[in-house]
Amino acid sequence: MDYSFWQIALVFIVTFIAAIDQFSFLESLYQPIVMGLVIGLILGNVETGLIVGGTYQLMTIGNMPVGGAQPPNAVIGGIMAPVLAISLGLEPTAAVAMAIPFALLGQYGVTLLFTAMSVLMKKADEYAHNANTKGIVFINYLSMTVLGLIFGAVVTLFFIGGATFGQTVVNAIPAWLMSGLTAAGLMMRFVGFAILLKVMMARELWGFFFIGFALAIIACAIPDLATPALLILALIGFGLAFWDFQLQSKANAQPALSSGGGDEDGI
Amino acid sequence: MASKEITPQNTYVIPDTYKNTTPAAPLDKKTLNRMVWRSLFLQASFNYERMQAAGWLYAILPGLQKIHGDNKDDLAASMSHNLEFFNTHPFLVTFVMGIVLSLEQNKVDIPTIRAVRVAAMGPLGGIGDALFWMTLVPILAGITSNMAVNGAIAAPFIFLIVFNVIQFALRFFLMKWSYSTGESAITTLTEGGKAFTRAASIMGVFVVGALIVTMGSGTKIALQIPNGESHSYSPHTVVVPTENVSNFNSAMQDETGQPLESTDEDGNKTTAGAVDLGNGYSQVTYMEMVTTPVTVNIQKILDSICPCILPLGITMLLYYLLSKHHWTPILCICLILVIALVGSGFGIWPSIWPAVG
Repeated sequence: MDYSFWQIALVFIVTFIAAIDQFSFLESLYQPIVMGLVIGLILGNVETGLIVGGTYQLMTIGNMPVGGAQPPNAVIGGIMAPVLAISLGLEPTAAVAMAIPFALLGQYGVTLLFTAMSVLMKKADEYAHNANTKGIVFINYLSMTVLGLIFGAVVTLFFIGGATFGQTVVNAIPAWLMSGLTAAGLMMRFVGFAILLKVMMARELWGFFFIGFALAIIACAIPDLATPALLILALIGFGLAFWDFQLQSKANAQPALSSGGGDEDGI
Repeated sequence: MASKEITPQNTYVIPDTYKNTTPAAPLDKKTLNRMVWRSLFLQASFNYERMQAAGWLYAILPGLQKIHGDNKDDLAASMSHNLEFFNTHPFLVTFVMGIVLSLEQNKVDIPTIRAVRVAAMGPLGGIGDALFWMTLVPILAGITSNMAVNGAIAAPFIFLIVFNVIQFALRFFLMKWSYSTGESAITTLTEGGKAFTRAASIMGVFVVGALIVTMGSGTKIALQIPNGESHSYSPHTVVVPTENVSNFNSAMQDETGQPLESTDEDGNKTTAGAVDLGNGYSQVTYMEMVTTPVTVNIQKILDSICPCILPLGITMLLYYLLSKHHWTPILCICLILVIALVGSGFGIWPSIWPAVG
């Protein structure tokens, strides 16, 4: 199937928007059910687009970005599935299955991008230290543009290159690189935790840190509690903090009382 | 509370108090609404080090500019501490924004604001996931995608409308509610003073401790270390000319001349030795040394010491490097990358990380 220049341009623009929308803005435009309709409109086959979008959407229900985990990328998968279905005349389920390698590529790409974007934070720090509000705005717009452009370019390439191309690219990435980058992506957050600890920690607070850690291990080990774990933990943490607050304010209030009543005591 | 160590020159140190501690005028509705719209871009510059930090700062900037507009140093201090690690549920973020902005507006001590921010962001992540990704989206997407599969063109529109009406109602409501709650609670909070800051910090470090497990437990190693080999004998029986039997001596006897023995799976013993069959041939039972590699699952051992010991250890190491050796976050990121890539083995030695996909 040959595409016109406008079809290619529209796919690029739609992907650009969807790529940004998967993390920012409405966080719903990018969903496969919407993308199916849009791609169907662009390629002139609304019905197939709709059906494939719905099929892909059903598959992603168990694959949500819960807890910051990256599932196979729904933007690339959700766009490529209707593209493959319409251009190759595939059955909806076959098109969805064929789109999976592309979605996996998207997942790897996002992991890479989020790792690389960490470097931007040094620049952001500089802007913040100098109260440069425009700089912070710039960083955010830049990041979104980069995300949109990368996704747009990749999907347009797949769009033109076709199904076999995606599989070839997936096979060309060495497994060690992917496992290493994924591990790096997972560990990167510990830098953020450590920065928070550096600014909040005081010698007498270490105990509470370890209580939080230990209770989280217990809560996460119980399957029924794994999902609401943080809420339960927050209640415990709040209880501890509130108790400490009462103890401390009592301790602060007493010397004030005794000094106020000092005269009477003295007599 | 603040780092009291000597910091290298030209390093910005976030102060503990604002220079101008006179509370600013309450934020008007227009500014609050503007920040709700900006909150849509919370994850614009998402990255693995600070996650939503820069997006968070972008979202609350209009408020911060109004509050600290008269003092550039205060604005810098506020922007700097609001650029620390931040991660919460994107749809519920306005709740954290409202509280933090009410504290900023009243020029509360920075450690207090920071502690409240951290204490609020953690639990909301879990609530939002449960509310949106596990309840609303599965139900809504489940219904509408079945409609779409049956060719109903209205399906994507229903999905978008319902999803976004709920999203925006929540965003606006939470902002308004938490800002006014923060406003009215502020006197209680500031009267408590030191005790409140301490309590908020307790909650804060408690939540960080918990986050190491709930968000960090994905860091595991899949390394199997060869722990030597186990040796066993496997018996073989052959018939050879009797004069050749002595060739098998080394496979039939140990160094002291005792015959070798082996036990098979059923517990039957076999003893090595030669039986003269009398026709010039002997039946020889000899032993072959069989080596089986034994591996140790490192993650299993670590888990038996303490689950999530790796996430805890890495965080503590980074904390140590940041606070005692004045490492910059960038340096920490490089260290993580080096560890991850060296661990991956470059295809030369086996990767210590779990396989992807």
